Amino acid sequence: MSTAPADVEQTIREFLTRVEKLPEALTPDLPLYADGIGLDSLETAELSAILEDDHGTDPFQGDELPQTVGDILSFYAA
Amino acid sequence: MSAQPADGGRVVIVTGGSRGLGAGIVRSYLDSGDLVATCARSITPEVEAWMADPATADRFLWGSADLAKAEDADAFVKAVIAKWGRVDVLINNAGVARDGIHSMFSDDDIDTVVDLNIKGTLYVSRAVSRRMLARRSGHIVNISSIVGLSGYRGLATYSATKAALDGLTRALSRELGSRGIVVNGIAPGYLKTEMSHGLDADQLQQIVRRTPAGRLGDPEDIARVCQFLTDPKGGYLTGQVIVVDGGLTS
Repeated sequence: MSTAPADVEQTIREFLTRVEKLPEALTPDLPLYADGIGLDSLETAELSAILEDDHGTDPFQGDELPQTVGDILSFYAA
Repeated sequence: MSAQPADGGRVVIVTGGSRGLGAGIVRSYLDSGDLVATCARSITPEVEAWMADPATADRFLWGSADLAKAEDADAFVKAVIAKWGRVDVLINNAGVARDGIHSMFSDDDIDTVVDLNIKGTLYVSRAVSRRMLARRSGHIVNISSIVGLSGYRGLATYSATKAALDGLTRALSRELGSRGIVVNGIAPGYLKTEMSHGLDADQLQQIVRRTPAGRLGDPEDIARVCQFLTDPKGGYLTGQVIVVDGGLTS
């Protein structure tokens, strides 16, 4: 699958649906953790693996962990 | 582009499957119709035979890898994913033993045993568990040893690494259990393989005399338990280390 923003966002949507944490509005500024989407550490690891499997690289392997949905989209847009 | 297995065979990784116990486990999964990948630092006649045999060539993948190096471990797992698209079963078997009185043990010997037995297992488990997490299924078996439970004179470092694997089994089972990933361990007793090389004939005879089963173990004894622990329908037995030693430590 490509790294186009729409494809990456679709991967994120499908994952959040699977873990029953898909918000009503998936906006770029939405935090991934705590009071945002509320991903826990294991869910973050799952998302990391799925993104790598689907798009070839993993935004969570860098020096700075993505904090928002937009951070993930920006990683693939770079 | 990965080629998904066309039949119902599981994709199985057995680390250190080129000889001894690992080769016995590879043979068992090939016999049960699975797709089997293994790695070691050097190729052996057994591996060459599986690569050449028309009955196994299409279901067998060999990779030369030093699992003590994270990059080798990652590359091997990626090669399996590239070929078959997933990993259903991981048997962490690769290991090395060095014997000697610990107060005389060299830095190199400690590093060699710790790097492969612990770090290598952690590297492969990390790479494979990521794929299993993405699919929310999988079976992992860590091959430790009864010396990790009981200790053995002259095998302090080896015993320590095998006890570490039992800890890894319990921790990973707790970490991954909610995602459908089953993690267990097998602690073999003394086997008729080269891993018993540190024991002389008298020591081996003494072990046989003390073993209720009256013999040393065969790789097949351990492979059968691997098959049981990785049965696709087995999802409720997890976090356990099964001692398979002919009753020696009972």
